[in-house]
Amino acid sequence: MMLKRFLRSRGMRKLRRNRMAMVASAVIGLYALVALFALFGGVSLDDTKRRVWRENTPGFLQPMSKEIADYTLDWHADKWLRPKMEAARRASDERSRQFSFDTAALGQRTLADLPGDELIALWDEAAGIYDEWRELQDTADEANEELEFFRIDLDAERAKDAPDQDMIEELEGEIEYYEGQLEQAARAPELAADLRAKLLELHPVPTGVPGMVYRAKLWFGTDSKGASIIIKGLYATKIAFQIGFVTAVGAVLIGTLLGAAAGFFGRFVDEAVMWIVSTLSSIPYLVLLAVLVVMFRGSIFDNEARPALALVPLYAAFGMTFWVGTCRVIRGEVMKIKELEYVQAATAIGFARPYIVLRHVVPNTVHLMFINFSLLFIAAIKGEVILSFLGLGVKGQPSWGIMIAHSKDQVSSGFFWEILTATALMFGLVLAFNILSDALQDAFDPKHVS
Amino acid sequence: MSKTNSGEPVLKVRHLTTRFRTDRGVVTAVDDVSFDVYPGETVGIVGESGCGKTVTSKSIMRLLPEQVTIIDEKSEIMFEGENIARLSEKRMREVRGDRIAMIFQEPMTSLNPVFRIGWQLDEALRYHTKLGRKQRRERAIEMLKLVDIPNPEKRIDEYPHQLSGGMRQRVMIAMALCCEPDVLIADEPTTALDVTIQAQILSLMNSLKEKLQTAIMLITHDLGVVAQVCDRVVVMYAGRVIESGPVADIFRRPQHPYTQALLDSIPKQGNKERGLRLATIPGIVPSLWDLPHGCRFQDRCKFKEQRCVDGEPVLEDGPDGRPVRCHFPLDEARHPQHLAGRHAEGA
Amino acid sequence: MALLEVRDLHKRFPKHGGVLNRVVGNVHAVNGVSFDVNEGEVVGIVGESGCGKSTLGKTVIQLLGATEGSIKFDDQELTSLSHAEMMPFRRKMQMIFQDPYSSLNPRLTVRQLLREAIRFHKVVGADQVEAHIDSIIEKVGLRPDSKDKFPHEFSGGQRQRIGIARALCLKPKFLVADEPVSALDVSIQAAVLNLMMDLKDEFGLTMMFISHDLKVVEHFCDRVLVMYLGHVVEELTCDNLHADARHPYTTALLGANPIDDPTQRRSLTILKGDVPSPYNPPPGCPFTTRCPVVKDRCHQEMPPLEDKDATPGHRAACWEVEGAGVASSAAAGEG
Repeated sequence: MMLKRFLRSRGMRKLRRNRMAMVASAVIGLYALVALFALFGGVSLDDTKRRVWRENTPGFLQPMSKEIADYTLDWHADKWLRPKMEAARRASDERSRQFSFDTAALGQRTLADLPGDELIALWDEAAGIYDEWRELQDTADEANEELEFFRIDLDAERAKDAPDQDMIEELEGEIEYYEGQLEQAARAPELAADLRAKLLELHPVPTGVPGMVYRAKLWFGTDSKGASIIIKGLYATKIAFQIGFVTAVGAVLIGTLLGAAAGFFGRFVDEAVMWIVSTLSSIPYLVLLAVLVVMFRGSIFDNEARPALALVPLYAAFGMTFWVGTCRVIRGEVMKIKELEYVQAATAIGFARPYIVLRHVVPNTVHLMFINFSLLFIAAIKGEVILSFLGLGVKGQPSWGIMIAHSKDQVSSGFFWEILTATALMFGLVLAFNILSDALQDAFDPKHVS
Repeated sequence: MSKTNSGEPVLKVRHLTTRFRTDRGVVTAVDDVSFDVYPGETVGIVGESGCGKTVTSKSIMRLLPEQVTIIDEKSEIMFEGENIARLSEKRMREVRGDRIAMIFQEPMTSLNPVFRIGWQLDEALRYHTKLGRKQRRERAIEMLKLVDIPNPEKRIDEYPHQLSGGMRQRVMIAMALCCEPDVLIADEPTTALDVTIQAQILSLMNSLKEKLQTAIMLITHDLGVVAQVCDRVVVMYAGRVIESGPVADIFRRPQHPYTQALLDSIPKQGNKERGLRLATIPGIVPSLWDLPHGCRFQDRCKFKEQRCVDGEPVLEDGPDGRPVRCHFPLDEARHPQHLAGRHAEGA
Repeated sequence: MALLEVRDLHKRFPKHGGVLNRVVGNVHAVNGVSFDVNEGEVVGIVGESGCGKSTLGKTVIQLLGATEGSIKFDDQELTSLSHAEMMPFRRKMQMIFQDPYSSLNPRLTVRQLLREAIRFHKVVGADQVEAHIDSIIEKVGLRPDSKDKFPHEFSGGQRQRIGIARALCLKPKFLVADEPVSALDVSIQAAVLNLMMDLKDEFGLTMMFISHDLKVVEHFCDRVLVMYLGHVVEELTCDNLHADARHPYTTALLGANPIDDPTQRRSLTILKGDVPSPYNPPPGCPFTTRCPVVKDRCHQEMPPLEDKDATPGHRAACWEVEGAGVASSAAAGEG
């Protein structure tokens, strides 16, 4: 009933006509869906840590260069599959052999559904191609290197006043040899394609939904441990919403109640509340947060193994500081409403003061509660990111702050996917919320709404 | 009392139509309004809230927010041979405050609280005249003297909050008049003031009009004020002019049922009707978004007939020879008891 | 027997100031006001802004506590009552407010608004609440379907009707109307005044009608108290207001009111200057700064509010009125 009336109110109608605000709400809704999806197990904490491909794989925007493609192929065959397959070959019993096969899985990619011996046979073929390919590559590398030297020497010899014909012939012979070698090595891409096909046969990309999931996980590349960046980003959305929602609800409730009490009852209630408010607001909030988080160090709230509990210091710290602004705003509004004639009319009817506050005063600050909620939501998310970046925030779970902190070293080596994903997700949410709270302010500004 | 309207009108408004873009679509706040203001006369624009009287004055001064306002192409506001509805903003700035000045309803917020009175008076003079610093100050003191502010030499260095509401309205008038404008637009200048202060301001405006021959356009909802100071009256309803004419005629022989109903609904001074029911106008002013087809007053009019629904009447001379927008304008036969009462009271 | 007896009522508001926010002075909003309101009577309170008329109204129905003095309603002293003891009187004394916009909680429908008041005071049995709401809504001239609408769906005049309904649903005996029509357009004003007149008869109400508009007061009230800077300067019946008025302030107020008839155009009575600041009122009679007949004595002593002529219930507080008043009353006596 309350909600229905609120949706019918003039402010809401005005808000609905604001196209930007509606787009922003849709974006926020999308984020919220993602957060809910993660909350109800769509993305688990383990998913965020599971390796799906090699480390620091670039995402969809960066075209795979030949070097990177070769390196990836090399990593896939040599660094990932070879040890597992060798272990399986060496395995004394079926169980440890199967174990090796199982660990060869990579995200959605498990080994082909074949008997163990066939797998090993397939691997042997692949390993053969791989070895040949590597050899060719080595040959090509050597040939290239040698050719360079010989050509320099040849040019130098020819440039001499009296060139030594034998020397030139010898050098030309060498060059001819290595060019022949190179020609042979030109077969390497073919081999690479063969190898890729073999590996795909051995380690097939699943089809249907699992295949789509697998490819989606690689859209934004992988982090330094080979885990999917987008999965981490989405999981971090849940963390952000969790922190934003809990702290905003808590802070708005505390702020509204204290602010309403201070504004309506005045005198010592006001003095007391405002004393706390001004004390808290005289401390830079980030410092206070850091101190609080440090205070919780070593307690049960500082345990990587229990990530949910590790959020409690954050809730406490944000909740303690963020209500201050709401309290001020609500207090001012309540002092204004208190003087309005409908409150006097309620007094004239004889209602008790607490009833008047709860029935006639606080409901008329709902618009401020909404605006403050959206502002605090964003403030909490930004605070979480900053603290996590500093290593004081979220522990044992992915968070945009941690992702940004991780990408410190990657960015300098040209790998920007992790920081891009974290900041883009945060940017979208913060922007949408800012637009929404602006629109809320416009729509519910008492100057426009009677 | 009634002035012969000799010579050319100083301000000639023709077909003024002002529309606003709003969340609920475009709305016409002032619809085809025409009237003249002659030098040295006071024209009252009367109507209830929402009738478009303030929008009319602000359209003339071009003080409406540009991005939401549409002043229709056919609107003409002729002032000194120019259509100021089409003037560039730069030229308009020269006219505004210098040739046409305006005073507002709220004396508390019309003055900037952080500047001295003298500075604010000086600002207008500096912008519109070429007087030197000393001359400007003398002129400012002279103006304060003109509006009967005691101790102008001292008051000129005070801040607005040191003055009472009545004093502030006097300062506003002094500011408006310091460039000797041809037209003074006064938008509800006494509504926020107490009766005794209102009497002061009204008599001040009357005496200034005599002294300076400034034409005054007085926007008000208070028929008592109109009766006391206006020469001619334009009655507006729902964005339209419904009747106009000399003040005595309007009060004595209103031709439009609305004007008559408005006059009847004020409690009369003296005790003839004490404790009796007042005449009322049923219903409320129609929303500008949802105007009825035909006459805009039809839903509240006791003389409503089918013709009023079929088409909106045009503004044309009624039985009294004054323009009225009604299919069935009132004449002696239609409201005898009202006229009898009025005559008796006047006698 | 007077329904309401106010004796020597004072209301002071402390003024805070300085670094320590100490009380640095008082605003004497109501200063020694005494009057009676008889059953079934409508008493008008008239004055300019800041004269204390609203404060007087709110103090009388105990929305503000009195600083000094006594308020007796139905022979019961109100100033000493506790919140609980006051409850039956809350129901009997109601108020109508000036601003039709801020006087209604924007989040309550008309029905909720009335129901909460009716239930709180158990005006009618639980099963009759809805019927009572319907009858009140009909009586104030609102359509039955307005019950479930919110205040913003109504026009100013309709909102004022809701405010009246809220006051009347408790079936009060005494009503304070604080400028109930001054925020409304003229045509709406008349309708609301008519409504109040009808309801007054129907409910047998006694009323205090606060207004700055003498025309409205003259039309509506039986008696009028003229206030200036917290003092009642004249009390007179409305039957012959213009002829009876003695106090120079009352005559000035009457003379400053523009008459809505251009044939009666006259020079308005001009009082010089403004109302003095209530923080720093002049000594003696508060009207001295603007009074056209001021004498030395006025600066020294506040004149008492006393009978000035034979007319019953006509009192004025002015040293200068005495002669004229006595003379006219003497003449009346002889005649």
